[in-house]
Formats: sequence, C-alpha cells, structure tokens
Amino acid sequence: MLVTWRYRQRNSLVQSFDPRAWIIFFGCFLASTLFFWDLRYLSFFFVIALTAVFTSGVTWKESRRAWLFILTFVTFFSILTFLTGRGGMELYTTEHIITQVSAPFKIFGWQPTLWVTAERIMFSISMFARVFSIASMTILIPYSLNPSLYGVTFRRLGMPDKIAYGMDLTMRFIPTFGRDFSLTMDAQRARGYEIEKISGGLFAQVRKLAPLVVPVTIHAIVGSEDIIDAMDLRAFGVGPRTWIQQLTFRRRDIALIAFGVAMLLVSAALSLFTYRLWVPDFLLAMAGG
Amino acid sequence: MDIEPVIIENLSFRYRSRAEPAIQNINLRVSAGQLVLIAGASGCGKTTLARCINGLIPRSYKGEVQGRILLQGQDTAALSLARISQLVGTVLQDPERQILGTRVANEVAFGLENLGLPRQEILQRVEQALDYLGISHLRDRETFNLSGGEKQKIALAGVLAMQPRILLLDEPLASLDPASAQEALALARRLADEGMTILMIEHRVEDVLSIQPDRALFMNKGQIEYDGPAEGLEKHVDYRQVKLPARLIMKMASRQPPPPRLEVLPGGKAKPENAAAPLVKFEDASFWYEPERPALEGVTLEIQRGDIIAVLGPNGAGKTTLVKHAIGLLKPKRGRVLVEGRDTRDLSVAQIAHTLGYVFQSPSHMLFAPTVYDELAFGPTNLGQKPQEMEQATREAIQIVNLEGLEKYPPLAMSFGQQKRVSIAAVLAMRSRILAMDEPTAGQDYQNYISFMEAILQMPGFEAILFITHDVDLAVAYSNRVLLVNQGRLVCDGSPYEVLKDQERLTSNRLVPTSLLRANLDFYPRTGRFMKAEELAHAVL
Repeated sequence: MLVTWRYRQRNSLVQSFDPRAWIIFFGCFLASTLFFWDLRYLSFFFVIALTAVFTSGVTWKESRRAWLFILTFVTFFSILTFLTGRGGMELYTTEHIITQVSAPFKIFGWQPTLWVTAERIMFSISMFARVFSIASMTILIPYSLNPSLYGVTFRRLGMPDKIAYGMDLTMRFIPTFGRDFSLTMDAQRARGYEIEKISGGLFAQVRKLAPLVVPVTIHAIVGSEDIIDAMDLRAFGVGPRTWIQQLTFRRRDIALIAFGVAMLLVSAALSLFTYRLWVPDFLLAMAGG
Repeated sequence: MDIEPVIIENLSFRYRSRAEPAIQNINLRVSAGQLVLIAGASGCGKTTLARCINGLIPRSYKGEVQGRILLQGQDTAALSLARISQLVGTVLQDPERQILGTRVANEVAFGLENLGLPRQEILQRVEQALDYLGISHLRDRETFNLSGGEKQKIALAGVLAMQPRILLLDEPLASLDPASAQEALALARRLADEGMTILMIEHRVEDVLSIQPDRALFMNKGQIEYDGPAEGLEKHVDYRQVKLPARLIMKMASRQPPPPRLEVLPGGKAKPENAAAPLVKFEDASFWYEPERPALEGVTLEIQRGDIIAVLGPNGAGKTTLVKHAIGLLKPKRGRVLVEGRDTRDLSVAQIAHTLGYVFQSPSHMLFAPTVYDELAFGPTNLGQKPQEMEQATREAIQIVNLEGLEKYPPLAMSFGQQKRVSIAAVLAMRSRILAMDEPTAGQDYQNYISFMEAILQMPGFEAILFITHDVDLAVAYSNRVLLVNQGRLVCDGSPYEVLKDQERLTSNRLVPTSLLRANLDFYPRTGRFMKAEELAHAVL
C-alpha cells in the first residue's frame, strides 16, 4: 500500500512525554539549531538528535527509506558545497588553502581546480551536522506521535477547534487519498499508461501526469462533499467542542519544556557572539597559518 | 396520543442550479417505531427527500423549499442543524466517506464532542453505542482498516450515540457483502422494534422485504406514487424498476410477452485457429504482502474463450488480487500466470492489456480526458496502435456503447451510467479480448443494472467476460461459470449450479441464497441452467 501508518506504541523516550511537550521542545530545538554554524555548539544538538533517534524504538527496517533519503540528500549537498565553496561566503571572508587539486585537462582554456580550504571543510561538516540534526528529529514525529492525538495536541497548544480538528481529519484521509491514488494508478496502467516512460520538457511531463492527477483530484473533490455532509450532520462547528482524549502534563513534560525554552534562550544569547564558522587550529596549521 | 415523529406537509424542493423541482408535493406521516422502506430508481428524489428531513436542505444545499417538516412536533425550519442532528440520525451511503475519526472510539464520539457534552457522558454513551451493536472489541482499532460491514456499524454507532429518535439510512446495503447486508437489516429491524422510527432508502427492495418493513413508499419523478403496506408494493411498481423477490417477478412477468433471447458473447463463439488454448492460465499461483498472510494461495485455473465468469466471495477474500494477477498489475510470488501462453513476469501491463482490459468499479478513478474521443484514444495510443486503426477502434467502441454524438462531450460532466459506458468503451477501443470488471453494477439502480449487463453481454469484440461481484443474483442471471474465492484460495470453480447449489458452502463463504437462486435451484431439473426471473417465468410457468 502507498500509505501506511508509521506510528505504533514503542515505549520510547519521545513517547514518554506528552505530545504537546515534545512539539514545543521540537520547535525550540529547531530554532536553536538554526542559530549556529559553530560545530562545537552544533555537536550539542547533534548529540540530542542522536539520543532521540537511538532511544526512539524506530527500527532501521521500518524507516530505511526515510533515512536513506535524508542521508543522500544531506551528503549530496555537503559535498556540493565543499566542491563549489558556495553558501558559506557570508560566514567567512578569507579562506586558508590546505591544498589544491587541478584537473589534468582544460575546457575552453579553463582548468577545473578544487580548492581544499580549512573553511570549506568546516562549512560542509557543520552543514551536515546541522541539517542531519533537524532532519532526524523531524523524521521521528510520524513514527512516534499518535495520529489520533494530533487534533487535541494542537487544540491544547492554542489553535481553534476547527483548525485543530483539521489536523485529525488530514490524518484520517491520508490513507483514503493514498488508496484512491493507487486505484487510479492501477486503472491507468491497465490502459497501457507507463509513468516511467514519461519524457519531454517540464511542461510536457506535467501534462502527461494528467491521467493520474485529474481523476485523483476529481475524486477528492466529489468525496469531500460527503465528508462535509457527514460533519454537518453531526453538528461540527456549532460551538466549542469537547475533546475526549485527555492530555496531562507531568513533571517530566514541564522539565522538557523548561529545558527546551532555556536552550532556545541561551542559544539566542550565544548566537550574538558566535554566528560564524569555527575552524579548528590544526586545520589552520595545515594551511600553513 | 403521541406526536408522530415525522410529519411532512406539501414539501417541494428545487435545487438552485436546476429548472425542475427535485421533489414535489410530498406528504408523509410516520409513527414511532415504524420501519419505512423508500424505494425508487436513481433520480426519483429519494436522496433529496432525505436531505430535507435531515436538514442539509436548505442549510448546505441551497434552493427553493415549499411546505414544512415537523420532527417530534418541531418545525425544522426553525431549528439549527445541531438540534436536528439530535432528532434524526443519518447514515450515508458510503461509510468510507462519513467516518471522520482515525480511531473507532473517536469516530463514535465525534458528534457528542461537537455538541460540547461533558467528557464522562461522552465516554459512557460511546460505550453504550458500541455495546448495543456488539462491537466493543473494535473500540481502539483504526477506522481505515475495518471491513465494509464494520465501517457501517461504526457509522451507525456514531449516529446512535447522539440518541436520535429517528434514523435515516441512505442505501445502507450498497457497499456490503450479502452476509453483512443481512446483519445490517436485522439490526434495523431490532432498532425499530425497540421504538426507533426508521426511514430506509434502498433499491434492493427484495432484501428489505425480508425484514418485513411496516410500510413502503415508491417514489417516481419527485413524487410518492405508492404509500402503503409493503405487500401492496408489487401492484403499483414495475418489476423492472426495483428489485422484487424472484417469485413475484415471475408471477408478474408471466403475464408479459417473454423477454427477447440474448445473443450472449458473440465474440466468444468465433473459433480462431488456436481456439483450444486458454486465454489466461493460473498455475499454482500464490501471492502475499506478508508471508504469514497469503493474499492468493495455490490458485490453478484457466480462462477459456466463451467464459462469462462471476468471481464471488466476501470482502477481502482475494477477488481483486486474483484479477490483478490476470492483468499483470501483480505478479505471483510462487507459481505462474500465463496470458496467451506467455508468463506475466515477462510482460508489461501494457502488453497484457491487448488481451485483458480491466474496468475498475468507479469510473471516476480513470476518467480524465477533456472529451469522450480523447478518453477512448488514450489506451490505444499507449498500446502503440496506428492512427488509422485507433480511429476505427475508437469509432466502433463509441457505437457499441451507444455514445454516438457525444464524442466531443467531457466524460467528467456525464451521468454515472454514461461514465460507466465510457469506461467500458475505453477497454473496447484497446481491442482487448477479455473484459474484466470490478463490481460492474455498483452505484446503479436495478433497471440500469439490468440494461447495462445485458448490453455488455451482447457486445461484439470480447471473447470472454469476467466480473467481480458481491451480488449472487448477478452470477445466477448472467454467468456461465462461477469462481468462489475465500481467504486467497479458490474454494470452488464450476457452473453456477455446481458452485451455488450447496447452502453450507454459501454460508461458510458469507454468501446468502437469494430468492432468484432458490427459484433456479427448484426448477433446475426442468431448465438445466440458471436464468433471470423473467426468463424463468416463461420457461416453467
């Protein structure tokens, strides 16, 4: 099946907290990480992320695809920045060259040269640590937070009833939407449609997706009429609603939120002094100064 | 005397977008504890009447209303939808679209949460509703993974939890297998016996008659044509419009001229050189998503020219998995499936489509093109047909399904029946030799279902037809071979008589013998084959 629930009860560290506490902590973690480019500080967040991952109970087997995607993505961009030196210019003004590798050929008189500098090395490592920390904390959410608690979690975080219930409704209809998509895919394949053979320019490719996109969209629109009727018929939106799921903050939740907020404040304060790249002395020494 | 729970006086309604009224001058008084069947063909106004009663009209569907509706003595015009929803509970046709919670308990609690009741009271009422329907064990399950019958019960529990006095059921049997349909009907009877007023909209009249409704209405062109005891329905309705018990149809049809004999599957009679070779062959084919739960297990069968095969079995039995193997959408993990002698593992779905065309249950899952012509040209283009050949195939397909003159019409703006015909034509245009259909009659009323099936059976071009269905009568009336599938296994394969004669086998596979099956079994020594009721009437009476 295209869409399956990733969530299950795992007795993990993440799941030992109230979902609201974890969402708040996650927000603080995200913002705090973005304050830094200094690997010494980023290591702190990297360790938190790794701790959350290793205690999450999420197995490699069930999350392999997500991890491979993230790792490929992060590694690719880290290498790309290392090779081109782009992206880090705001963080350093001078570069210390460790070595240079020149290609043994010329293209129209230009000889491709890779400048290995202390700054570029540190920039790509820092980027890896930063993006990997954020991505791995994000991956854990669908595996760890109970989808039937999304609505009440956001309601208790202060969102209005209707918007919070929208969260629940999205969770409810993602599998239905996935099933409709698979059905349409099968129906069109049975008519000889082969998505893997789509070619042409971008516009032509998008046009050739119409046999999938049109039926799925139309089906969703037609289906939504029934959904709206069903909600109206059971008095949705007539007044403040009760939520049967109860969330209660315990001490550990308060502690997690306090830790998160403190981390954010300290990070904000520190970032006033350290929003720049850190290059260790030994790399500078290798560059000869 | 108690107030009648439903009083409708001179009710008419016209949708804003239409010139003609959808219902006209409806007058109806229903007493407490009555179970009322509302029957009629598609477009007769049944659903509009239901929307007027449950308040969706005029609140969600705008238009011009005349007359008034009193529920428990209160004029609905003055009530909010929230208030109406506590007086009348509605279960819609497709439970999949009305279940809003990810978990069963949340779904049942939904309406009560919206009313802002105290949490303890909600939990208590949820337990009561689940307990009443005998489904407490589903309490913590995810709603998406439930079966059709379970979903229907959950939807009903969600409505009952709001403690309405009136229940409105809109085609509750549409998506259920025979055994689940019977359970749902028995439940409706029990609720009515305990004092609930029930309005049940359904065109499977025969099934509803089995629970002795206290009263039946027959609607036609927006008006009530008959309102009286269920037994009187037969004198006032055309047996071709709603599905009556077979014996009754036979009695009525025997007074009419015999139905024309169908020229069934003309394409299956031609004998090409290799006529003896099977079109499709399963050799011990097995498939599984998880090894411990096989979706298909050791299936061996052949599809021959001239076969009209009904694939029967309960929900989740593996019927669709079986057909998906024939078309190559799934490949067996053990054993082989051969299409015209070639292993499906070596063929793409597109290549197999030359032999086997598959029409999915809902046409809206496949229609996308701006015109009927483009829609039909899609398959042949993908299969690499030459433009001239494609042009001809498309024209022929349009002719066969009677859509001439609508070539430039957008399929998405057509009626359901027309869309269904476009989807069949799309397979015809690919010149596939076998037509495979998933629930071909779903969503169609009785009259359309009969004319649709008969039109397909008489179409030239197909050498074999295969359809997946819940409807035992469809197999009885139109197939010459039945495959009974359950738990991924082919339980039985033979003529309709051989497969369906054994009551025990039917029960263990969640099938329920219908009056048409019984009549055919009774007369089998004289007829030697199964047939539809009209034909049977002239063969034996």
